[in-house]
Amino acid sequence: MTAVKPVQGAAANADAIEVIRAGFEKLGYITNPQISTSIFLAQNLEKPLLVEGPPGVGKTELAIATSNYLGLPLVRLQCYEGLDESKALYEWKYGKQLLYTQILRETLSDVLQGAQGLAQSMDRLHKFSDVFFSEQFLEERPLMRAMRAPEGAVLLIDELDKADQEFESFLLELLSEYQITIPEIGTMKAKVKPVVFLTSNNTRELSDALKRRCLHLYIPFPDAALERRIIAARVPDISARLRNELVAFVQELRALDLKKLPAVSETIDWARTLLLLHANTLEPEMVRNTLSVILKFQDDIEAVEAQLGALTEGALKAAERPLGTV
Amino acid sequence: MDQTLGDFIKALRNADVRVSSMEAVDAHDVVDLVGYTDRDLLKHALALVLPKTADEKNVFDYTFDQFFKFDELDEMEMADQAVAAGDATVVPQLEESAGQEGQGNGGGGKGCSARTGADGEGTPDVTGAVEQAGLREQLSPLSQMVLAGDRAAISIAMAEAGEAVGLRNIHIFTQKGLYARRILEHMGLKALNNDITELRKRDGVAAAELAERLRKGREYLLAQVRDYVESQFLLHADVDGSHLREDILSKSRLTNIERRDYRMVQEMVRKMAKRLIAIHSRRRKVFDRGALDIRKTLAKNHAYDGVPFDIRWKSVKIDRPKVVAICDVSGSVAKVAHFMLMFLYSLNEVMPNVRSFAFSGRLGEVTGLFREHDVEEAMAKTLTEWGQGSTDYGRALQDFATLALNDIDSRTTVIVLGDARSNYGDPGQEIMKKIHDRAKWVMWLNPEEKNTWNFADSVMRKFQPYCHQVQVCNSLTHLERIVSMVLRSAT
Repeated sequence: MTAVKPVQGAAANADAIEVIRAGFEKLGYITNPQISTSIFLAQNLEKPLLVEGPPGVGKTELAIATSNYLGLPLVRLQCYEGLDESKALYEWKYGKQLLYTQILRETLSDVLQGAQGLAQSMDRLHKFSDVFFSEQFLEERPLMRAMRAPEGAVLLIDELDKADQEFESFLLELLSEYQITIPEIGTMKAKVKPVVFLTSNNTRELSDALKRRCLHLYIPFPDAALERRIIAARVPDISARLRNELVAFVQELRALDLKKLPAVSETIDWARTLLLLHANTLEPEMVRNTLSVILKFQDDIEAVEAQLGALTEGALKAAERPLGTV
Repeated sequence: MDQTLGDFIKALRNADVRVSSMEAVDAHDVVDLVGYTDRDLLKHALALVLPKTADEKNVFDYTFDQFFKFDELDEMEMADQAVAAGDATVVPQLEESAGQEGQGNGGGGKGCSARTGADGEGTPDVTGAVEQAGLREQLSPLSQMVLAGDRAAISIAMAEAGEAVGLRNIHIFTQKGLYARRILEHMGLKALNNDITELRKRDGVAAAELAERLRKGREYLLAQVRDYVESQFLLHADVDGSHLREDILSKSRLTNIERRDYRMVQEMVRKMAKRLIAIHSRRRKVFDRGALDIRKTLAKNHAYDGVPFDIRWKSVKIDRPKVVAICDVSGSVAKVAHFMLMFLYSLNEVMPNVRSFAFSGRLGEVTGLFREHDVEEAMAKTLTEWGQGSTDYGRALQDFATLALNDIDSRTTVIVLGDARSNYGDPGQEIMKKIHDRAKWVMWLNPEEKNTWNFADSVMRKFQPYCHQVQVCNSLTHLERIVSMVLRSAT
């Protein structure tokens, strides 16, 4: 039980995670230790990363930031109901195939010239049989593009929960083996394994088989300290005072019983709005006018308006307190 | 895989986090990568591999904190304080620390070197020190350890003993005493007891004092072991015995399950239904989207010289299972019907197309009841409304035909639950034939064992030809298997 295995480079790995954190911060994506660890593991274990969390906490952003950080192209596949392999993986260029058959009809007689009997003609034709199902006629879709990227790529499969269950099963081969099978050509293996991100908003439970193959990262709403840093990184022009106040306000909102809680992206939008209005501090009137930036349902807006004064006051107080006590 | 990680995964599983063996292998890779040295890093890293839902993450956090509780830093600080205090005696030190000491599971203490230094000066009786030292030499290793007050060493010895006696396999709370005793025996309690007896026999203040200290030390040791066993029990065992009971319940016959267990069974049934739905529910709705299926069109039109003459569209349509359930709720099967209704209720919650009917003498639809009331109420209402009177299959099937026969089509699965005991009345098998002809699948579930079918007033043989499947169903395991079958055949 007490066997502490001295792992070589464990400290170096901790440093590597720190490097990732700093690198992401430079790109304007503030990570918590959980997130930077996940990026580190995804790279080192070569496993896809399944990111879940409420909408607007930066799941998609994480993939984009990773692509910037690694300097790899981002290949994005937006999922929706009815998405199938012809849109996700590959398709044959049917138009081109048809056109070529029409054009080549004339040359057919040349090919067959001199052939004696049906059997020999067939033999000759068989030599060309695979021509129409070769790479020239292959239309790449996102998944294949990511697999064939010569330098590797960051593959983002966004909102997987919106796709059908079958599509999920279809992804399994890709996710565990980094290979895809095309009946007409064969199995293709990725030359450089792409870094794969899957995101889900939890509109339905993803299958266990898929979850088993992935690292699972849950990004919750950030706490006040993290959110302040995020705002500072994304809206650098805003004054520290206003920033702390608006973060405190949003944190208060998240404690309320609302239909849709404001996410980080909304906080950022709000920060930009307030900046544009040259606000110095939170005032109930200004909050009232800009509430629609952070709340997206009329019911929510009405519920918050009723207690706006108290909330604003609370936020102002909370912003003054040092962070540990918030 | 190393033992610590294996135990941790076991503890997680015990806390209802589902960890597959593949994930266990991943966890092992992760540990290889990050090591055990940085606790936070280990926690973050394992949290990515083992728990896979937000709920499981919470459970994971808690279990991790419990499991890797041994905190070296605190240990060091406490040892330092002890040194600073200087005059503190060994035993009070032990006692003071007993409450705070983590039941060391995760690692050796680094504080031990500091501690041994402290304990020499800590002995109050300096005059007897030399004599005591001589006596100490003769004591058993455990006694020496206790006298030295080396908590880290005791923790380690305890963990090792726990390992040796297989504490991980602790199952139910009644085993706690047993394991505590085994651990103590393994650590050498007997020798320690002997030492105390021996020391008491001797003359001299030093010996008596040493005996007294040993006695106090033994008390501390007992408390420690008890705590350790308790914490291990909480981690590894099935604390409230729920797993064990679930296991037993799912295998026992439905009629034998007592009323007080209903709530638990209800929970199980709900879990079961949820799981089945998760496996079987489909969202395929792609139908006639108007997308041209070029592959099929080309293939189809080869015959027409490649001119797209016969156009094919992409269309996939998969039906959700449509289920009609007819349930006998008369006295003879009432207990089983209870569960069947419960199950149907749960299915109703998660699946849109379940219609339920109940009958004894007459038959009526209870789908609405199920929809409007909670499970207890719905079942009670069903039973009072339709559960009176003696079974009359002919009549009930006739009622069913008027109510719902027209709704049964080639996509419907019909489930009948009953013992087919019609009190020597007309069984009405011709209606059963009609149902059979219209439905996709007819399944009869009989709560009686096969050898009692067709005995006395049971007319199973008359219904059997009109069922695609006839099953004995009298335990939850049966029920689960059957519902899984229904869902599969219906999709």
